[in-house]
Parts: sequence; structure tokens; C-alpha cells
Amino acid sequence: MTHLELTHIHKSFGASVAVEDFNLTVKQGEFVSFLGPSGCGKTTTLRMVAGFELPTSGNVTLNGKDLTYVPPNKRNVGMVFQSYALFPNMTVAQNVGYGLKIAGKSKNEIEERVREMLSLIQMDKFYSRYPYQLSGGQQQRVALARALAIQPELLLLDEPLSALDAKIRFELRQEIRRIQQKLGITTIYVTHDQEEALSLSDRIVVMSQGKIEQVGNPFEIYNFPQTRFVAKFVGSLNTVTATVVDPAKGIASFDGINLEIAQGLNGKNKGEEVTIAIRPERFNFLAEQRKENVFDCTIENITFLGSVVRVQMKIGNSIFNMDTFNRPSLKLPNIGGKEQVTCSNKAVLVLAG
Amino acid sequence: MSQMFATRQRKLWREYPLWNWVGLFPFFIFIVFFLVFPSLRLFTGAFTNQEGGLTLDNLKVFENPNVLKAYIMSLQVSAITAFVGGFFGFLVAYSITQGGAPRWMRNVISTFSGLAANFGGVPLAFSFIATIGQTGIITAMLKKACFNLENYGALAQFLASGGVNVSDITNVCPLNPYTYGFSLYSLSGLVLAYTYFQFPLMILTITPALEGLKKEWYEASTNLGATPAKYWRDVALPVLMPSILGASLLLFGNAFGAYATARALTGGSIPLVSIYIGQQIRGDVLGNPNEGYALAFGMVAIMTLTIVAYSLLQRRATRWMKS
Amino acid sequence: MDEIMSRKRTSFFTIFWGILALLYFFLPIYGTLDFSLRMERGILGFKAYKIIFADPRFWEGFRYSVTMAVITIIVSAAIFVPTIYWMYLKVPQARPIMEIITILPFVIPGIILVFGLIRTFSRPPLQLTTSTFKTDILMIAGYVIISMPYMFRAVDVGMRSIDVRTLTEAAQSLGSNWFHVLADVIIPNLRLAILGGSLICFATVMGELILADFLVRPALGPYMVRLGLTKAYEPAALAIISYSLTWFSLGLLQFFSSRSERQKQQVITT
Ligand SMILES: Nc1ncnc2c1ncn2[C@@H]1O[C@H](COP(=O)(O)OP(=O)(O)OP(=O)(O)O)[C@@H](O)[C@H]1O
Ligand SMILES: [Mg+2]
Repeated sequence: MTHLELTHIHKSFGASVAVEDFNLTVKQGEFVSFLGPSGCGKTTTLRMVAGFELPTSGNVTLNGKDLTYVPPNKRNVGMVFQSYALFPNMTVAQNVGYGLKIAGKSKNEIEERVREMLSLIQMDKFYSRYPYQLSGGQQQRVALARALAIQPELLLLDEPLSALDAKIRFELRQEIRRIQQKLGITTIYVTHDQEEALSLSDRIVVMSQGKIEQVGNPFEIYNFPQTRFVAKFVGSLNTVTATVVDPAKGIASFDGINLEIAQGLNGKNKGEEVTIAIRPERFNFLAEQRKENVFDCTIENITFLGSVVRVQMKIGNSIFNMDTFNRPSLKLPNIGGKEQVTCSNKAVLVLAG
Repeated sequence: MSQMFATRQRKLWREYPLWNWVGLFPFFIFIVFFLVFPSLRLFTGAFTNQEGGLTLDNLKVFENPNVLKAYIMSLQVSAITAFVGGFFGFLVAYSITQGGAPRWMRNVISTFSGLAANFGGVPLAFSFIATIGQTGIITAMLKKACFNLENYGALAQFLASGGVNVSDITNVCPLNPYTYGFSLYSLSGLVLAYTYFQFPLMILTITPALEGLKKEWYEASTNLGATPAKYWRDVALPVLMPSILGASLLLFGNAFGAYATARALTGGSIPLVSIYIGQQIRGDVLGNPNEGYALAFGMVAIMTLTIVAYSLLQRRATRWMKS
Repeated sequence: MDEIMSRKRTSFFTIFWGILALLYFFLPIYGTLDFSLRMERGILGFKAYKIIFADPRFWEGFRYSVTMAVITIIVSAAIFVPTIYWMYLKVPQARPIMEIITILPFVIPGIILVFGLIRTFSRPPLQLTTSTFKTDILMIAGYVIISMPYMFRAVDVGMRSIDVRTLTEAAQSLGSNWFHVLADVIIPNLRLAILGGSLICFATVMGELILADFLVRPALGPYMVRLGLTKAYEPAALAIISYSLTWFSLGLLQFFSSRSERQKQQVITT
């Protein structure tokens, strides 16, 4: 059941291209995230769905209806802004009820719906407060309620949590997901925070430089990145360019060091260059005797990240990260010391691009 | 020794924080002498007679039709220029902040607003005399744009058929303001001249507020279905209202008290309260110096009323703001 | 719909109002300039300017006004810088009352202020009009009051942008006393703000008419009015000279502030 469809969307501002050949279909009730670095065109795409930008070419279709040229105030699409954008001159209730007032609903109906929305976001008590009397997190909840009050067919959120501090961000994230599932509303969520995208979404669209890099559910995106960009951006994959040594046995080498790859190198030729990726948590210090994928390394740096310790090391001439759990029994090497690390041949990924 | 004194002093300050105000005394003394005393003098002068007894007789000056006329004229000039200058200034400020005016235009206008708001007084009057006075450059140009109705046969015939005596209007100069009763030395002239410093003042005061209008508010309201007109009614105007009120007060007061421009423009012949008071200072035209005080007192009273009205409106308009 | 799509697109009305504003700004200045150059029939020339510059009363007025302006600036800085500094440091709760007091000259019409000043100080017990020197003191006091809104706001904004308390505490911890803190730390950091207030002060005093007129002192303002009553072309030339002066003072301010802005930027980038 296709709900929202974006076909061959292009957008350029003068000479610079912001979005290029963007194709996506979103199902009814699906939660889709746009994930990518700053300036990759997430906001621009979202604004084209909301109607604030006109695509240079391509079409936006919602429920089979072509929206491309429909003005934004006729779209019935709810939007939540990074900066909350509550109307400062209106109370919480007036803000939430504004869309209904515009639609010409009766006073009673507005009142009822506003109460309903406020209890949905658990802010009943803030009915007649002004935005300046609310914290950032509360303001963003109200903004969410305001967008939902008009019962939009689609909910768009542009980095709604990035102006908030970490703890509130986490809480509100759960809240957004809960409300979205309760209402079953189709949602597009823009973020540059991979954790947010991974924990919230049904599907993730990873973007870079105006183009889609990969579309998939969080599991696929995290575990099977298709391009070097996705691998780098989602998680902190180690990537290295290697040369195919033996396609049949799945052996490649970098800096003169051989690597065994369980998934093999089918379809590659000897001497061809491939991009290899290894997750930092898949490395281990060498404990028992092993033959394959044992590397000599020099420890460059050690960082504590709370429950995880990140060890930066040099294998050959390439820098790799290794993450290990921070157990009290953990024996850390000295910086500058020589160690041996290993990783399973199943942990070595071959990327497409 | 001085160490001990300093310690004692600090202790004193800590126990009696009001002592800190002592540091502001030089300023307050200056203010008392040169602002408070003169104001009190006006006030007492307005309500005492020449022998020093308390009286309300001085207020009889407001029964003088010339005085009343001057007050009405002053109020008219202030209200009209505040409105015209304010409206025009608002539109210009909107154009340069939100309307996407070219960058050079924005720069020139904002620079000139700073200058023109300071170009007041006597030189401004001279400029308007030289430009749009009877022999001014622009007047001369506008006077040249004339035509003879006789050369426009069809129109002349049409008018003649309507009973107009065509031979009366052989030389029509539709652009010449003087044919419409304009005079630089009257209300219309004052309005034209005052607007020169009023509208840049509006631009200067309202621009920061306009720049504070967030693009997202417009987008959010549009997203909720509002048209641009509804956005203005429901969001932009209410948000701008405190600044608009403040600017209006500033413009009104600015014109109400203006003296130099009017004086130099009309040589003191136009009946404005400020001009009247000037004459009163120079030599008592009213014959009773205390009536001069009453006259001045009336001006202060009007400004006070304006400010009270302003603050009441402002309180309503700023309910949603952090105090 | 197009309007909704791109609000930033330059519309017809934007250009219309912009052009109208520019015309309003420039036509009178152009008219004045043109008029001032036409004193001699049929040719453009500087005769009107020559006459003014040859008039000893012009120079007298100019000298007097410049002197008054400079003294006003010094007095006003001497009053406001320490007062505002003290306010920031010791009595921040005095701010609202200070703001109200200093805005008063904006609210009370100038003519009323002068009326009150003259009537108060032209008879005992506070008589100040007995000699020209005393009258000049009264003039200065009046000028300080009239330019108070500008000076206060300029210094206030300047103080706000530097962290007065921390700077003072830092200097004191290094052993400075009050006077040295003010002279060595605060004032150098306030240079631009004081300059800004001073230049507006200067422009105000140079153009001021009422005080000098009614106290019968030979300032530029009364000279201009008298010239306006009797001459046709010279006043236009005088207006141009006066505009240039205002222009020059505000231009100077612009120059200094953009230079200090650039210096800050350089400090940041290097
Ligand atoms: N109105 C505009 N005019 C010109 N260029 C624009 C405009 N809006 C966006 N761009 C350009 O389009 C590109 C994509 O911008 P966009 O705002 O979509 O990025 P984003 O992915 O949302 O980034 P961020 O995470 O920083 O919000 C950027 O290079 C930006 O400079
Ligand atoms: Mg963005």
C-alpha cells in the first residue's frame, strides 16, 4: 500500500545541486528516517514534500494524488521544525488549536481536540502557558501536538531533537515513536544522528551529497552497508582499500598484509581494488592460537567511552579502531606498545562502492 | 590606616547595601538640578499666580482660540507624520528585510536612515525650501510638465459637453502641487518635511523587530493551512506590535516637540505649540508669564497621556514576552 | 502560490518602496545642492559657499559650537562612564530608573526643557545668566541633558558587551585600585562606545537651535536661522555644509567600528 511517493526528484539552487534523482516510496504508517551529514539535502527533500520548495523536476505523490504543485497551506501535511517555531504570541492551547481555527472548526471542537492532543503529549497542565514559559523539550512536544492536531496525512520532522540536551533527546525520542505508533501516522524524520535513526525507524534512507546511498531497515543499514560512505557514516566502520589476491579463496591484501574474507570475492579479478570494512567491535586482542587474520599492530591511542573502550591502532600503514567492553578485568596495552589483534573472517565486509 | 578604612567601608556596604547608591549621587545631583528643578518650575509656575499664590487661573489660557488652534495643529502634525512616516517606514523596512530587496539597496537605505534621522532641524527646512519651495528645483520641474487643453480636442470637447468652461483651463499643470493649495509653510509642507526624518526613524526602530520574525513562523502557519494574510493577522502583527507601538510613540513625540524645522521653515508664522512657547520665552506675548507655564504644562500633559496610553497598550501587547 | 513558494523573491512592491525611499532621501539633498550652486544666473558655481566661508559670523558660530560640543562630550563622558560603571558593578537594580531618567529628554519636548531651564536659572536663587561664562555653563548643562539619551545608551551597550565585573575583579586581583581599573581596563575597552556616543553628541550640539537662540549665544543654529530669513542661496549652501558635517561624524564612527570589527576578526582567525 504505497502512501507517499517521490519520483525522480531533482532540486538545484542556481548552479548548485541540492537533491539529485531522489526516488522513494513510503508505505502507510511507516516511519522513515533521512540520515546523512550536514548539507546532504535532507531538509531540502523534506521541504519539497511540505511544499516550501518546488522541485526543479520530478513529482511528489500522496495517496495517489499529485502534490507537486499544491501550495503548502493546502497539503494537510504536518511539520515539526528544529527550532520549534511555536508562535510566541499564542498560548500552548492557541498554538495547538491554530490549524483547526484556520480550518474553521467550531470553538468546542477545537477545545476538545486541543485537550486530547495535550493529554497525548502529557502536557495538560500547560494549557494556558506561553512558549517562553516552557523548556525546549516541552516546546517541541507542543510543536508536535500542533502538527498532529490537524490530523495530517503525513508527519514531517526536521531534526526535531537536535536543539535539546542528551537526556531530553532520549526521552522525547521514545515519546515520538510511541505517539507515531499509536496514531499510525506515516512519518518522515530527518536527522544526522545515526543512533536516533537506528532506534526509531522502520526504514532508513542514507543520503550523501544530494543522492541516496542506501535504503534499508536499521539492521541492514548497520550490518550490511553497501557503500563505503554508509559504512563510515553509520557506526564507525574501519575501511581500507585492498587488492584482490585470490578471488576463489577470498583473500585480499592491504599494505602487504593478507586478509581472509568469509563471504569471498566472487566476481572480482586478481589485482582489482576493493573496499574492505571491519566493525571496531569485531576486533579482539589475540587470546588463543590462530592462523588467519592475525595482525601486528602499534597502539596509537586509548579512549574511554563509558561502557566501551576504544583503542586506536596502526596495522601496516592504516589506522583502525577497536572497541572492547570496559570490564574491570580488562588489561589495557601501553600506548606505543606492540600487540597482536585478530578478527573473524566473517567480520570482514566487502563494500560495493 | 587606609587598609583599615577600606575594610570598614566594605563592612558598611555589606550591612547596608543601600550605600551602593551613593556612587550614583553625582549623576542624580546633576539630574536634580538640570532636569528635576526645571520640570518642577514648570509645574509650580503653571499653578501659581504672579504673586506666588496657588491658582488655576493660568489654565484659562486654553480658552484662547489661538492657543487651542496651536494645540490642534501640533497634534495633527504629530499624528499625521507619525502615521505617514510610520507606515511608509514600515513598508520600506519590510522591503529591505523580508522582501528580498537587492543588497545594494538594503545597504544604501539602512545607511541613509541612520543619517537622515539625524538630519533634522534648520538645514532640513532649508533643503525643502530649496527643493519644493515656490522657487525650488523640483517645483520648477513639476511646473514645466504642463499642457494646453486646447491641444487635446477630444478631451476638451468632452469636458465642454459636460458644462466645463474649457477656456478657463488652457494651461494645466497636473503635477504642480501649488495648484492644489500646497504650501511649504502650512500643514502639508510640515508633514512633507517632518516625514523626511520620521520614516528613517521608523526604519531604524522597526528593522530589528522585522529581522526577528522567524521564517519558520511563516512556514509553520502555512503548514497549518494559513494564507499569508492570516499569518500577518495572527502571528506577524501581534509579534511586531510592541515594537510598532514603541516606534509610534517615538515618532509622535519626535514631531510633537519639533521646533527648529518649523521655525526655520515658516519663520515662526505657523501656529504650533512649540512655536508659541518659543515666542513666550522670548517675550511674554500672552502678557502673563504664568500662562506660558500653563502652555508648557499642557504639552507635558499630552506627552504623559500618550505615554500612559502607550504603556497600557504595551502591557496588552507584551503579555507573551519574557519580562 | 508563487508567492508562498519563494517569499524572498524580489517583488514589484519591494522595488517600488525601495525606490520611493531612495527618492525621498536624495531628492531634497540633490535639490539643495543644485540650488546652492545656482547663485549666479545661468552658471553653476560656489559663490554661495564663498560668501559663507568669508562671513566672520559663520566662523564665530562654528568655533563656538565646536567648542561647546567638545566640552559637552567631555562633561558627559565624565558623568556617564563612571556612573554606568558603578551601576553595573554595585547597583544593577538601579538600571530601570536610570533608563527612565535618561530617556526623558526624548520624551519631554526640547522646547519645554529649555523653557524650564531658562526660567529656573534666569532668576535667583539659581541665577546663571549674569555673565556669558555662567550662561555657557548653563548651555553645557542643557546640551548634556539633551544628548543624554544617546550617550547613556552608547556607553550602556558598550559596558554590556564587555564583562565589567570579571574585568574589574581580574584587575583588582592584580592589585589595581578603582581609578586604575577604570582608566586602564574599562575605558580602553569602551573606546568605541564612547566614540559613538560622542559623535552623535557632536552632531546634536552642532545642529542645536533652541538653547543658543533663547540664551542668545553665538552658536551655529541661530546663525543659520537668521541667514534663512534674509538670504536665498546661502542657506542651501549652509545646509549642505551641515549635512557634510553630520555625514562626516557618522562616517568616522562607521570607519572606526568596522575597523575594530576587522581587528577582532583578525584576532580570531590568527
Ligand atoms: N535556499 C537555498 N539556496 C541555495 N542553496 C541552498 C538553499 N537551501 C539549501 N541549499 C543548499 O542545498 C544543500 C542541501 O541543503 P539542506 O538544507 O537540504 O541540507 P541538510 O541535509 O538538511 O543539512 P543539515 O543537516 O545541516 O540541516 C546545501 O548545500 C545547501 O547549501
Ligand atoms: Mg537540515
